[in-house]
Amino acid sequence: KAMCSGKLQTGLLVVGYFVYLLVGAAVFQALERTAEKQEKIAAAQMKEAFLQNFTHLTVPEMEQFMKNLTEAIQNGVYPIGNESQIGDSNWDFSNSFFFAGTVVSTIGYGTLRPKTAGGQIFCVFFALFGIPLNIVFLHRVSKMLSLLCKKLGKFLYEKGMRKKKIKFLTLLFFLATGILVFLCLPSLFFQITEGWSYSEGIYFAFITLSTIGFGDYVVGKKPGRSYFSYYRTLVAIWILFGLAWIALLFNL
Amino acid sequence: VLLVVYVGYVGLGAGVLQALERPAEVQAAQHLLQQHWELLANHTCLQGPALQRLIEGIIQAYKSGITLQGNTTSLGRWDFSGSFFFAISAITTIGYGNLSPSTAAGRIFCIVFALFGIPLNLVILNEIGQLMLLGVQHCAHHLEEVFHWQKKASLLIKTCALVTGLLLFLLLPPLLFSDKEGWSYEEGFYYSFITLSTIGFGDYVIGMNPDHTYPVWYKNVISLWILFGMAWLALVIKFCINFLE
Repeated sequence: KAMCSGKLQTGLLVVGYFVYLLVGAAVFQALERTAEKQEKIAAAQMKEAFLQNFTHLTVPEMEQFMKNLTEAIQNGVYPIGNESQIGDSNWDFSNSFFFAGTVVSTIGYGTLRPKTAGGQIFCVFFALFGIPLNIVFLHRVSKMLSLLCKKLGKFLYEKGMRKKKIKFLTLLFFLATGILVFLCLPSLFFQITEGWSYSEGIYFAFITLSTIGFGDYVVGKKPGRSYFSYYRTLVAIWILFGLAWIALLFNL
Repeated sequence: VLLVVYVGYVGLGAGVLQALERPAEVQAAQHLLQQHWELLANHTCLQGPALQRLIEGIIQAYKSGITLQGNTTSLGRWDFSGSFFFAISAITTIGYGNLSPSTAAGRIFCIVFALFGIPLNLVILNEIGQLMLLGVQHCAHHLEEVFHWQKKASLLIKTCALVTGLLLFLLLPPLLFSDKEGWSYEEGFYYSFITLSTIGFGDYVIGMNPDHTYPVWYKNVISLWILFGMAWLALVIKFCINFLE
């Protein structure tokens, strides 16, 4: 009965975690989308006005344009391309979901961030409950991974190895496979999908999995590249298991 | 002793990063300046694609931490104080990102630096947290002895500690920020929480406004606040987790 309730608990935890993220994504989207649209339109207008008048512009006006442009960029609005790009939003559902994930995992890239006061306050409370939830969730996932390790250890023990040697070997195996699966292979993958160099991929993988999350490299953000539809979900799963692997490393 | 090691480690990292990143930054700034002046010289001949390229150039420069201001560029991101702050943002895993290494050597160093710095940081935070907890328990003990309260004292002290922590780390700092940074109270609170939880978006970062002058003690006090505030918040979250489990 105890084992059954344990599995039920884990199941509930998994479901609860994803529901939490989904709800957060929806709320962020609702709060931020309209503000973003307005900013995009304003930036496009500014660019339009500049193009029409540049032959008559004085130096101070140029300075002003540069200043406005910089502000727009600081707000995450990149006024390149033409009108059709206003339709793409940074706050559609899949992006909001990804954002919610970067909040609860404390990675916090920052390329996407709430600008409305409501969005910011919601973000604070969302994180306040989401971060502990994330930690508990990762704990469970890392426990599953450690079970695999124990099985390997048991297998080796039955083959007649000494306990110390087993411990050392399992640790080594765990470390090596983890580095391969979570750092080396994804970097190869990113080379293809993002066009980064291999070292840039490794840098990104490390900065993400350590939850530092500078945001200088983020997946799925290159304009003019098409990503297959489940790309971000795949990356999210990689981040999840990668974080759990790191958590397990700390516990070993 | 641990504190000395910690500060020394961060300082070392700051020095190395500064040496690695500064020259590249100067180069990029000069390049942008050149672009700016070319544009001004030729603006009667400016066309759509040229404007596109200029904007892209500004975006690139912005991502490297350089913004155009008048005839100069905002340099000095990778001076020692900036590098120090960056090193802290790396090993605490806050990772603002408003400043990030652009040279390959800087990045490799960053990875190695963080690889050892993050565990070091966790150990220090744990120590500070334990000290805080001990302090709280001591107070509770004293109250019990003086007033003979038993269980009530422990709960009272814990809530007192929570409230003081809340005030000190989340509710009062925004007042300082609105004075020195010009943010609204809500923005200051948002910044405080995002920083202390190590999410660290980087949309708000202290000491980055070129129009403001900051007192000498400002960044050091903020660094202390980050350290103790993170330890406190980690304790709070630990309690939340114990409650959840």
